[in-house]
Amino acid sequence: MTTPVRGPIHVAADGRALIRLDPDDPIFAGHYPGFPIFPGVGLIECVHRSAQVSAPGELRLAAIESTRFTGPTFPGDELTVTIKWSEVDDGWRCAAEVASPRGDAATVRLRYQEVPS
Amino acid sequence: MIADIRRVLPHRYPMLLVDAVTELVPGERLTARKAVTANEPWYADLPDDLRAEQLAYPQVLLVESWCQAAGVLATWESPNPDVLTGTVMLFGGISGIEFHRPVMPGDVVEHHVEVFRALTDTVMFTGRSTVDGEAALTVSRIVMAFRPASVLLPDSLGRK
Repeated sequence: MTTPVRGPIHVAADGRALIRLDPDDPIFAGHYPGFPIFPGVGLIECVHRSAQVSAPGELRLAAIESTRFTGPTFPGDELTVTIKWSEVDDGWRCAAEVASPRGDAATVRLRYQEVPS
Repeated sequence: MIADIRRVLPHRYPMLLVDAVTELVPGERLTARKAVTANEPWYADLPDDLRAEQLAYPQVLLVESWCQAAGVLATWESPNPDVLTGTVMLFGGISGIEFHRPVMPGDVVEHHVEVFRALTDTVMFTGRSTVDGEAALTVSRIVMAFRPASVLLPDSLGRK
């Protein structure tokens, strides 16, 4: 899959997803030169990739319902993504919290639709 | 064109995701283009057996591209392409982005951005993105916050 966040995702025994921000990810070269900081959409991508690991079936990302960014994240950070799935009228909702070693980083709600087989 | 975009945005390769501004009314609206290519780093080192839908442009980068277009509109008249001094533009939050079709290499995405509300240190935008006139993305609302650059400095975050 094409993704701007390449690092492997590890799922801990309690179901949380762990992802380390690789300082060599090309995303940091341009965001920003001389001051690498992980973009908000990168946090959304971490949730999306973690969601794909725990998804109840083959799903496609249909909407970003809401996001709140609460703390910056940097190369080398180990992020923890905690996801709750719930079934909604037209698919599945993924409500996620992202935390960095310094505390809360983002709250993200995504909506997925089932891929017709 | 691209020189103007580089003048107002601090983003650089491979994260500068707006190629051209085609219409701009400061404080009101903007139309911009992003040409998608398989020559971006997100297409590096992929396995050979991926299906077409697995080769779609990363959806979050489509959002990033739209937000950068909004950033061009927001900062056109008072640009600060340095993220370490002055006032920086931060991604405040999203409410309601819907994806309507995959965007593939070869597509030219047209972003339509409108200012929904502007306050002293916060601007809210709304809009959509199209490919060949077909809706790819609709954006209900995105909030950009303008803050002193010092809020981003690691020292102010207690970074280890």
